[in-house]
Amino acid sequence: MREFKWSLMIVGVVLGGVLFFNPSAIAAQLHIFAGAGLRQPVDQLVKAFETQTGHRVFIDYGGAGQLLARIEAAGTGDLFIPGSLFYIQKLQTDGKVQTYRPIVQHTPVIGVNAKQAGRIKTFKDMAQPGIRLAMGDPKAMAFGRTAMTICENSGMKDAILKNVTVYGATIKQLALYVSQGVVDAAIIGRTDAFQNKETITMVSIPVEYFQAEVIAAAVLTSAADSELAGQLAEHLSSDTAVAVFNQFGFLPLDEL
Amino acid sequence: MRCLCLLPTGILIFLIVGVLVGLFVHLPASSILTTLGSEEIAFALRLTLFTSGAATLIAVLLGVPAGHFLARQQFKGKIVVDTLIDLPMTMTPLVAGVGLLFLLGSDPVRQTLDRFGIQLLFTPWGAILAQVLIVTPVMTRTARAAFAAIDTRYEQAAQTLGLKPVQVFLRVSLPMARSVLLSGVVLCWARAVGEFGATLMVAGATRFRTETLPIAVFLNISSGELGIALICAWLLIMTGFLVLLIMRWIGTPFSDEPTVMKAER
Repeated sequence: MREFKWSLMIVGVVLGGVLFFNPSAIAAQLHIFAGAGLRQPVDQLVKAFETQTGHRVFIDYGGAGQLLARIEAAGTGDLFIPGSLFYIQKLQTDGKVQTYRPIVQHTPVIGVNAKQAGRIKTFKDMAQPGIRLAMGDPKAMAFGRTAMTICENSGMKDAILKNVTVYGATIKQLALYVSQGVVDAAIIGRTDAFQNKETITMVSIPVEYFQAEVIAAAVLTSAADSELAGQLAEHLSSDTAVAVFNQFGFLPLDEL
Repeated sequence: MRCLCLLPTGILIFLIVGVLVGLFVHLPASSILTTLGSEEIAFALRLTLFTSGAATLIAVLLGVPAGHFLARQQFKGKIVVDTLIDLPMTMTPLVAGVGLLFLLGSDPVRQTLDRFGIQLLFTPWGAILAQVLIVTPVMTRTARAAFAAIDTRYEQAAQTLGLKPVQVFLRVSLPMARSVLLSGVVLCWARAVGEFGATLMVAGATRFRTETLPIAVFLNISSGELGIALICAWLLIMTGFLVLLIMRWIGTPFSDEPTVMKAER
């Protein structure tokens, strides 16, 4: 009997703890799913939002495809900010997006290891024999898909893919490979090259080969407070927000 | 006491069964056979078995002698060496992988490897190396504990009977530590089969080249193909289940009865 009482006490303490730390009992909270590549500007903007409003915002970073799978499986969350509209449109067809606000563009560039800058000066150079390239997996990440489209549109797909020594799962992984010099170049985001200026040289991709991806903040239908979620989406797409994104190498939409 | 232990046991079982049921009910029944028969999954399974097998073999070759050395020898700075060998176990595999990437990508190492025509980065060999880094400390730790538990008088007696140190190791120490070492081998292999972070960094996620089962799970979740990811995950779970069953069958320390008791019978 005494042991039973102990068991009850333990259950009581655990339940009490759960109730005490129940997030809904504290304050208004928001949950964002955001592309891992957007971490720096999103962190900065969310911090400002928290200071201004007093609300708590939790951000879940990851690859866009991975986040999409989680939103679909869990059916929770307030905002979704992937590196490409493609993922928002996918959710939209499933009726899981209320509205979305475009923020900035996610422009692909060729990130070249600084030591190899002399060998890769134009897009064509990526097809030269002996060049070691990294590429994003076209199914797993937004820029993998973009990179594949670019290669197809350039008409040099076979020659370029022949030079691919490794496929990566996130854009940061590709940027790391380039900055460490374990590959000569990769198609990465302008922001990733911009943030690693010392080790990565940026080479432009002819504009006719691609359509820049648009970063947007989508309010999910699962949002607990749509108005509050909309307020955060507005904050993240304001002129001030665009300026913050710009500091990290993202270009405004009007430069599309 | 029984009641007090029953509750935590129940919670634990509920959690494990809950996870398995969750993973099972979302399995796409209609596409299981198609997925299992797909070339990509067959490749990922073959590669996983190859890399984990090779990594375990290397871990045994490195870990068993290292464990014996640490169990038997006393030297200055032993505590530092001991801690250093354990360190990879506390590292996030992703960090260990980044460290390995920095090492293999550094100019002197890369040039030396190139000179000998050895390619580790972004190849299955890189996956093996990453797994070796993660699992060898497990083998070393197990081997050290196994040899430390053996009464040294057996080894001394064998030596006085004329056996050379190598013969003592092979004919006395090794057979006496066999069951614990075997459990270490199985644990290493199970750990290598599921290794993801370090492999991803060093070998990349290239389909049909460095795509092991855990990487296949990650790639398919990332591309929204949850069904395929779950089938791969079940392949990993079944492998783990099989391994644990084998461990019980061979009577390692993970079996119900302590090995010592069995030996005494």
